[in-house]
Amino acid sequence: MDYLGLTEYILTREDQKLRGAVGAFLQKQGLRLEEGVDYTYALVDGKELVATGSLEKNVIKCVAVRQDYQNMGLTNKVISQLVYAAHKGGKEHLFIYTKPGNLQIFTDLGFYKIMALADKVVLLENKRDGIRDFVRQIKQKACFEGRASAVVVNCNPFTLGHQYLIEQAAEESEFLYVLVVSEDKSVFPADVRLKLVQEGTDHLKNILVQETGSYLISSATFPSYFLKEESVAVSSHAALDLEIFANYFAPILNISRRYVGEEPYCSLTNVYNEKMKVILPSYGIVVREIPRREAVQQAISASWVRGLLKENRLEEVKALVPETTYRFLMTEEGRHIIDKLKGLRPML
Amino acid sequence: MFKLRRTMMYVPGNNPSMVKDAHIFGADTVMFDLEDSVALNEKDAARLLVYNALKRLDYEGTEIAVRINGLDTPYGREDLEAIVRVRPHIIRLPKAETSKDVRDIEAIIEEIEAKEGIPVGSIQLMAAVESARGVLNAREIAAASKRLVGIAIGAEDFVTDMQTTRSLDGMELLAARSQVLLAARNAGIYALDTVFSDVNNEEGFINEVKHIKQLGFDGKSVINPRQIDVVHRIYTPTPQEIHRSERILKASEEAARKGSGVVSLDGKMVDKPIIERAQRVLSLATAAGTYELEGGEAIAY
Amino acid sequence: MEIKGSAMAGTLESSDASIVVAPNADKGIVIDLISSVEKQFGEDIRRTVKQVLKELDVEDAIVKIQDRGALDCVIRARLQTAVLRAANGKSFDWEGQRHV
Repeated sequence: MDYLGLTEYILTREDQKLRGAVGAFLQKQGLRLEEGVDYTYALVDGKELVATGSLEKNVIKCVAVRQDYQNMGLTNKVISQLVYAAHKGGKEHLFIYTKPGNLQIFTDLGFYKIMALADKVVLLENKRDGIRDFVRQIKQKACFEGRASAVVVNCNPFTLGHQYLIEQAAEESEFLYVLVVSEDKSVFPADVRLKLVQEGTDHLKNILVQETGSYLISSATFPSYFLKEESVAVSSHAALDLEIFANYFAPILNISRRYVGEEPYCSLTNVYNEKMKVILPSYGIVVREIPRREAVQQAISASWVRGLLKENRLEEVKALVPETTYRFLMTEEGRHIIDKLKGLRPML
Repeated sequence: MFKLRRTMMYVPGNNPSMVKDAHIFGADTVMFDLEDSVALNEKDAARLLVYNALKRLDYEGTEIAVRINGLDTPYGREDLEAIVRVRPHIIRLPKAETSKDVRDIEAIIEEIEAKEGIPVGSIQLMAAVESARGVLNAREIAAASKRLVGIAIGAEDFVTDMQTTRSLDGMELLAARSQVLLAARNAGIYALDTVFSDVNNEEGFINEVKHIKQLGFDGKSVINPRQIDVVHRIYTPTPQEIHRSERILKASEEAARKGSGVVSLDGKMVDKPIIERAQRVLSLATAAGTYELEGGEAIAY
Repeated sequence: MEIKGSAMAGTLESSDASIVVAPNADKGIVIDLISSVEKQFGEDIRRTVKQVLKELDVEDAIVKIQDRGALDCVIRARLQTAVLRAANGKSFDWEGQRHV
């Protein structure tokens, strides 16, 4: 029965007072109101906050119900509201990022476990066999049965460094899956990044370029990857992401080796790579770290390229990216992105 | 026996668990709400939920009312199209301002009744006044239609209109409550009081119920099942009241048998209004199940 | 009625059902039901769904239902709401219903 007489609130970014209250409430539950959330729902009894939940794109998170209000169906109310809001925003495939203790509650609500890290986090989705179907589809496109390798790249944008890494990996492998991060949080949009990888690796015949979907390095599997500040959660997020790779991608695609570019600059990626060297071998997957290709004695990286683009040093960029990427940068769409990098308003 | 309307319980129209169990708490009338408790983007969902529930569920004889959205909203007409067809006992019109509001709604109901072969006039109406204008027009509103069985006051909107807020002693509502009562009694229909929203303040609620009972209201709107028993307790005559009323009526019957025009009890003369009140007390006690009426005459509106 | 987009109605609260109706490119009706009472009532729910879709003249749709112990009339209401929303807010044919 529901005669609790609670008041519903939907938080806007401007509502600092209520945001503060939600933040403090979550903190008591060992959570925090994360930076990236774009929709927060709260239930208030009189003047006290008793339940809340948030949405970040297609991920439900920061869900908490006060101890003395549990078992009154408030979690269902919160989740319903979030699912509804997500659906209105055109997002039907949803994920929940929560504590393992809540697994049963969300399973009852029609969510399916993807991966749990003992006493840390559990990730669920609302599609039965969602991840398996996703990886199986990749498998179907590959038409390859033997032992394969994989590399996961963001390519913001695709450089000679990425090209070199993929060429090396392809040469050493019978077949190589190139998985391009789908999450649209980089300056270069996901579809552009994917296209540039495809074009720049067109000469390689034993590879398949595919998107990672929501299942690798996404705001669902690795939320802290996209946060500006480095958070303490990075290590457990990285572990979750790698466990998903090892438990779904590797067995279905028969991956025995994962390639990764050496990471001299970005500490976050470095944490990820180090974690990779611990976790994947325990599943019998070899991690091969390829040293970066250098130009003028400096390892080529996408951030270097972005820096040059920002300063309009296009001639120098030309030496660091494949011809296909350079050609794209010269198009109207490419210029648009360069303007965005410069912080200019795109010209209409 | 006359119909008790001591409690009218609001049930948000878009909540299936509340809609399906609405009648089990013993309110005299259950009112499914399509108006204020339903978010704008859920109006369609609530309308269909109440429609299907009334079509399929058995509320075991409990009086059912549905509060629709006003005809001045994009939802009111559609609400009527749906709800009239599933024949609740009462349709409640919110925010009535003039007698025309009642007549407009009546015309549409009549049209739908005719179309569907429902006996014209079978659906009753209740109007709520929730503004200064509505309260001032209460007299005409209460007398606007034969379908009207009651008039209610909605205090939240009213106090806002009056540029004040609600207080525990209800001083700001006294004039309006009195006006609504006068209008109801003049038209011979029920007068129903507004909700008391602080469910946790039981003492405040008890005081308010005593207050409106004393003013003369037939009952009160409630928003929580917990409030039902409180109202019923206060509205149920005490054994002393019942006993005294019984004696008054006996004396009155005695006098009638003797052909005497004067009724007296314990050496005091008993006036006609006192006899009527005694009849009412016994009817109320009978309806509440605390008194077995033997051939007494019940008051009915 | 043609399902033009994806729409949702209902909640995951107890006694309710959360229903999503979406176009079906492969034609026909596909029902995806999740219910804790699937064993006892799964067939009844499917029958209700098919009946409601027929009443609303829906021939092609994917219907995803998460049932939380909803009564038949609740399933009907939620499905009707979702279908009307998915048909771009068409209004319900009150007159064409049997009112028994």
